Amino acid sequence: MERRRQLIPATLRAKKRRLQPGPESGEADGRVEPALRSLASLFPRQLFEDTLPPLVLKHQLYSVVKDRTAVDRQLSCLKDEGLVRLFQLGFDADTFAVAFAQDYEAKVLQSVVGKDHAGTVRRFLGSVLTSCPELSYDKGQMLRDFGFQDPDITQLVNAGVLTVRDAGSWWLAVPGAGRFIKCFIKGRKAMLGLIQKAKYKEVLLSDLQSRQAPSAVKLGLPYHIHDLIGAQLVDCIPCTSGTLLRLADP
Amino acid sequence: MLAFISARQAGLDDPLRLRRAECTRRVLSLELNKDRDVERIHGSGVNTLDIEPVEGRYMLSGGSDGVIVLYDLENFSRKPCYTCKAICSVGRSHPDVHKFSVETVQWYPHDTGMFTSSSFDKTLKIWDTNTLQPADVFNFEGTVYSHHMSPIATKHCLIAVGTKSPKVQLCDLKSGSCSQILQGHRQEVLAVVWSPRSEYILATASADSRVKLWDVRRASGCLITLDQHNGEKSKASSEAANTAHNGRVNGLCFTSDGLHLLTMGTDDRMRLWNSSSGENTLVNYGKVCNESRKGLKFTISHGCDPEFAFVPYGSTIAVYTIYSGELITMLRGHYNTVDCCVFQPNFQELYSGSKDCNILAWVPALREPIPDEDAEKQYLNPAFEDGWSSSDDEG
Repeated sequence: MERRRQLIPATLRAKKRRLQPGPESGEADGRVEPALRSLASLFPRQLFEDTLPPLVLKHQLYSVVKDRTAVDRQLSCLKDEGLVRLFQLGFDADTFAVAFAQDYEAKVLQSVVGKDHAGTVRRFLGSVLTSCPELSYDKGQMLRDFGFQDPDITQLVNAGVLTVRDAGSWWLAVPGAGRFIKCFIKGRKAMLGLIQKAKYKEVLLSDLQSRQAPSAVKLGLPYHIHDLIGAQLVDCIPCTSGTLLRLADP
Repeated sequence: MLAFISARQAGLDDPLRLRRAECTRRVLSLELNKDRDVERIHGSGVNTLDIEPVEGRYMLSGGSDGVIVLYDLENFSRKPCYTCKAICSVGRSHPDVHKFSVETVQWYPHDTGMFTSSSFDKTLKIWDTNTLQPADVFNFEGTVYSHHMSPIATKHCLIAVGTKSPKVQLCDLKSGSCSQILQGHRQEVLAVVWSPRSEYILATASADSRVKLWDVRRASGCLITLDQHNGEKSKASSEAANTAHNGRVNGLCFTSDGLHLLTMGTDDRMRLWNSSSGENTLVNYGKVCNESRKGLKFTISHGCDPEFAFVPYGSTIAVYTIYSGELITMLRGHYNTVDCCVFQPNFQELYSGSKDCNILAWVPALREPIPDEDAEKQYLNPAFEDGWSSSDDEG
């Protein structure tokens, strides 16, 4: 009922105002960029020997900033400005990974140092990435607009910058992201198993945060908690002892 | 509240502003009320509800056993405790009752003398309310999932019917013919709805993940196919191009001004579209669980300032603000899956029907009346009367 009363426009409320409870979390700001930076700091760089840029999943932002529509709009503004890049990770049609453009380019260049296709990749980064904020490219676009021939495209796929989507089109990819995806899927499964085994399939958020991470969870508990909440795989129920995470019905 | 009234009186405020503010306040305080009840007639799940648009007084309900019941929602009993009675019904003993489940019922938009019902027995029946006899029957080759008649049409009397076949059929009430079809979908059509803004615009949703907007005067094809990525081919895989959802689309509803269209799909997403340009407004409602294999009937409020969508969500009803995507509350009360809900705009009440054979009335929680000392004892619902007596004698 508290939430509903807050929603009734202020003009309709009686003159006597009760003390309003303070904002729920520290990031009640509603801005996406600080949220992105704080989530990126949760990403374990040393696990992948610093070869991957800090990847944040788009739905993790929903657990930090409550208004989903505002998150989507601000994220697409940031994408059009060229500050961040979105990637399709491949295991779900709806899941997108977000990385800062600067980090991404730095890591790609780092991964191709000393290899044959370094020149092509540098050319690709310089021409295509700066002009197109898209997630995928198709053959016509690559040939006409940017002058990349078939052998060039093969080199880019070998470098890991492009992944095959279907005949004649490619997703933009992060080289070496396979290891991250494997760790992520295993970790997510382990977290869901943890909650599944709990009594009534629910666990207090504070309890979960203070637990030791199971061995399968390599990316860190906070990272996975944001993922589960944002993807709505668990329902957040406010109760007197804090927030309760209950497994959502499939 | 007093400020609103005095501003309205002095002419400082638009007359509609007070009305909208009060409607919004009432919708935000919807809850189950112990004094309001709908008589329980159905013996199996209630699939569809419709309130007549003329007075908002009579409600039709269609059940999974083919029974159609007519209720009177108006309270003339002068008591706060009221049960909405069923006036008449087309029961299992009626000679022309539908053989299988009734999927959609709709009142004739201009008066209550007629209503239409469509069912899984592949028929659409036009009923005369006063005699409760079918005036006409249209037969189809596949099961009928949904039908709709335009609420504002004056130049035509077409009923759009969505069946198992990919072709949308248009039945003409005046001539009794059923010859016009709209071709374009590739799988069964799960929902059809006419625009409340233009009498010739029709929206259809199909199991092939596409939603199409048609102008029925145009023979060649649909006007727009809604695309969830707004033309950005890069976001989806190539098979998902030009689709409204990533699964079957089974719910459609226009806002009351007809400017926006809400669609629901089995990919657990709800999307809001600009109905004139077909653009996805990208409002994010989060995960809206949708496990229905046939159409899902949800409704949008009318007359409030942020409009609200009432969506059946498992055994509860989720209330969202349409333009910002925020989940306001979940209305809990049903024992089983909620199938349909309708909004009564005159009193801001919500009626919902579910598989547990109940129709629940969600009424705005009124402000408590100031207790009067010399007034007579307040009327108490007999179910809540305290029958305990401290004396040792019996009775």
